[in-house]
Amino acid sequence: MIGTVPIAKPVRKFVYHAEELLGTEIVIARDRDAPLAGTLLDRYTYPVENEYIVFPAHYVGLIKDFIIAKLTLTLLIKGAAAKRGEYRVLSFNEESVYAGLRQIYLDALKDEAKKEKKLPVNKLIEMLFLLFMHFHEDLNELPWNPVVNTGVYIKIPKIRKTQLYYLMKEGKEDMDEMMQQMDIIPRRYFVFSKAMFYGRDYFLAKTLPADELVPVINIPQMKKFNHLEVKEMLTTRWTHTAWYQSKVFGDSMLQIMDGSIINDWNANPDLDYYYNLYSIIKRLTDNLLSYMFMTQWYVWEPVKHLEDAMLNKGEYEQKALKRIFGDLIL
Amino acid sequence: MPDKAAVEWIRKGKAYFGKKRFKDALRSYDKALAIDPNFAVPYFSKAEVFAEQGQFKEALELCNKAIAIDPNYAEAWSKKGLCLFSLEKFDEALTACTRALALNGNDPMAWYIKGVSLDELGKSVEAQEAFGKSLELEIILDMEAEKKKMGR
Repeated sequence: MIGTVPIAKPVRKFVYHAEELLGTEIVIARDRDAPLAGTLLDRYTYPVENEYIVFPAHYVGLIKDFIIAKLTLTLLIKGAAAKRGEYRVLSFNEESVYAGLRQIYLDALKDEAKKEKKLPVNKLIEMLFLLFMHFHEDLNELPWNPVVNTGVYIKIPKIRKTQLYYLMKEGKEDMDEMMQQMDIIPRRYFVFSKAMFYGRDYFLAKTLPADELVPVINIPQMKKFNHLEVKEMLTTRWTHTAWYQSKVFGDSMLQIMDGSIINDWNANPDLDYYYNLYSIIKRLTDNLLSYMFMTQWYVWEPVKHLEDAMLNKGEYEQKALKRIFGDLIL
Repeated sequence: MPDKAAVEWIRKGKAYFGKKRFKDALRSYDKALAIDPNFAVPYFSKAEVFAEQGQFKEALELCNKAIAIDPNYAEAWSKKGLCLFSLEKFDEALTACTRALALNGNDPMAWYIKGVSLDELGKSVEAQEAFGKSLELEIILDMEAEKKKMGR
């Protein structure tokens, strides 16, 4: 381990364990401009020789340790999959972008038909790819979250209080996402997005266990459902709201997580153990994609494929729009 | 009262330190010391630079010099604790942090170093108490950082 920051013993041991198992050296560094969740620069994703874990400079104590632990476990999972030559990420290609944009457009049309104030056509067209990429990013990250957090919770019990604080904060931030676009994007996608976070938070609330993470307690817009009777909840007044629908879909997503994340957490932590966690993440991602009817939107590919896709995304978007709208798009 | 020119060199040094221009920072602090050798701050500031680069022995010596001039210099005690912890002198680190916290109970780093030192010494229960205090203060800092971020 390379770095000058003090690290709590159990986290330090975990970093050494990762270095030994992956045959690498991890550089731990702080940076004023690092994102609040920290950054992992690993050789399986970036052209680097060492692995880097960077955390925001104002974190001086256990929050920093939690970020290091979380990113170290992420690294172990990636590394275990890469060592088997099986590390893949969700990417996209010309065909999958078309499938995604077309589906979003059809759903947007259904929503727009019901709206009094219509979205300008140029805005609607612009929204299609933005939403496609939004889900791409979320689906590449979100399924890692419950698995990594459960792992850290079990492996490093000494930082549980910190983890709880961090997760409460993260849950609130994620729920705030898309709020400004709530009336613009098709209801279905707003609900899916919220439902994914709802499912994740509920899963962690049960796993940790911590009532504070239960979405109907933690999320202001969902608090009203906490003590509502089923009969009352089923009235039109509630069932037509996006937050009620998020709760219903979120409950299903929780079931998907419960069904996908099955693991012997106390097994011997060797490369097979971490590879198994990777398989769980992949399975969870596939199950979420399937539940949201997005299986045609994205493809599992090596990191290089995604890098190329990101370079070509403008072209893919234009080609997909051309196929959907024909000559109306110039 | 410290000499104004020395304070100005420290301000410059801090700016260099923020940009990770460590040599320039050290040069600035030395200029401050040349003006006022009995000023504790430049010693502490130099210690920060050395600690940031992992040179904890040198940093520790500088902390001691700062403390010799000003025994109530809380930040210097806290940094001394950090250096001692990094040099695996956990008992001494604990003493330094306890002193730092007596001078300033709102230093999350000192609470954290106290916690990790206690943990290394096998005093888990006491370590958890120190960690709890450290986390409490860190949460306040975190909220302030977010406010700043939103204000940007």
